[in-house]
Amino acid sequence: MNFPAALPAAADSNSTDILAVANSPVLWACAIGVFLVIVVQSVIYMKAARLAAPHIGMSQAELKTSFRAGAISALGPSLAVVMVAVALLTVFGTPAVLVRIGLIGSVSYETAAAAIAANSAGAELGGPTYTQAVFGLALAAMSLGGAMWMIATLILTPLLKKGDSALRKVNPAIMMVVSGAAMVAAFMVLGIGELPKSWIHVVAFVSSAAIMTGLMVIAKRVNRPWIKEWALGIAIILSLAITYAATRL
Amino acid sequence: MSKATELHEALGAFDKTTSRWGRITMIMGLFFSLAAPGYLVFFAGLDIEVAGILTAFGALAAVFGVIWIVEPLTYFPILGASSMYQAFMIGNISNKLLPAAMIAQATIGVKPGTRKGELASVAAICGAATVHLASLFIFVGLLGTWLVSVIPVDMIQTVQFYILPTVMGAVVVQAIVSQKAPRSAVIALVVAVVVVFIVQLYKPFGLFSTAVAVISTAALAWVLRDRKTLGTPEDTTAESELPEGPVY
Repeated sequence: MNFPAALPAAADSNSTDILAVANSPVLWACAIGVFLVIVVQSVIYMKAARLAAPHIGMSQAELKTSFRAGAISALGPSLAVVMVAVALLTVFGTPAVLVRIGLIGSVSYETAAAAIAANSAGAELGGPTYTQAVFGLALAAMSLGGAMWMIATLILTPLLKKGDSALRKVNPAIMMVVSGAAMVAAFMVLGIGELPKSWIHVVAFVSSAAIMTGLMVIAKRVNRPWIKEWALGIAIILSLAITYAATRL
Repeated sequence: MSKATELHEALGAFDKTTSRWGRITMIMGLFFSLAAPGYLVFFAGLDIEVAGILTAFGALAAVFGVIWIVEPLTYFPILGASSMYQAFMIGNISNKLLPAAMIAQATIGVKPGTRKGELASVAAICGAATVHLASLFIFVGLLGTWLVSVIPVDMIQTVQFYILPTVMGAVVVQAIVSQKAPRSAVIALVVAVVVVFIVQLYKPFGLFSTAVAVISTAALAWVLRDRKTLGTPEDTTAESELPEGPVY
């Protein structure tokens, strides 16, 4: 695996050296841009909260405690995300992983989106057909998909705030049935679609599902919620190790 | 100035600042997240056709279209208007931001849904964002490439080749458990097996397989839903859990 230092010149649609384009400086600049925007947002929000707090009988100490409580409780989940992100670095490159897996999106939606996009071009994520052009297409699809969440938030938040009655009449219970079923179906068809490819694909899918099931059962039995936070990362890393062992047989 | 008007004005200023800057920063985030693929598609010299992107986006919309709208609707009553822009930029809402907000509210002893609770959750999300950004920046941004470089090449190839079945295996189980809808899960399994079987026989169908599976599962789950526990508009929680206080 090589990591070329000077990158933009390396663009070649049919090359499978994904990282040559995935780690290009422009992509890095965009990822850092997203980081900075979130930093600016947090600073503005904290300032606004500090200004408003005394008027509603909230002390600065209480605000500080809230900030610290949020920071500490995010340690586990953040490191769990880091674990999955590192595993996906070679598939999407650092900038795309930072933005799509680490921020804005999540590993499940973004990996599914990338796979669906690759499929639509007759290619496969990670395989010999996963060229630079397919990576570009996958990133475009992931980003557009993520943009739809943001656009929905931008449009719906002011509407919901105004207490638009039409929107509130939408029954969340019913909507949850449909979207929940849709989500499970999407992940399932993508996963099961991998099974006929080779017996190693079967090992990868089944071991990952089995480890996740085991972790869920343990989390419930011993009542330790942190296991659920780490479950995805642990399942992915362990089943990758099992899959690696299977390829050596 | 009376205490009531002072309170009203202070909260009004908070709402104004957070909604204005929330929107501005989200649009900036949107710009940066679209600029990266925009560069690859139009300027990097790669052979990517816009028609191909539209096809891929259409396939995605068929799969996730409903979720794009339902997620903001679901989280609004819990997060409150001010935190919506933060949450949907930082991501990992249910596994990180919501627990952070709840722990902060419990720590200082305020109820969710009150204005004090809203400020506590804003501060908690800022704290969570700080830790999240720092950990991503250090372990993925700075050390990630080095971490990958110390891993043997054949291991990395295993990751690249088999990452999709590995991720989906765990994610399917997680989605089934978190949805708590066994009926939908069984329908999804049957539909997925049928769809994959058809794809094996007739390859060109593969283009539409995910969309077909998703749409038919959603339709079947809706038709075959448990009518005793679901389907009454009174189930909606949005009304009662909306944050109190002035609305601007």
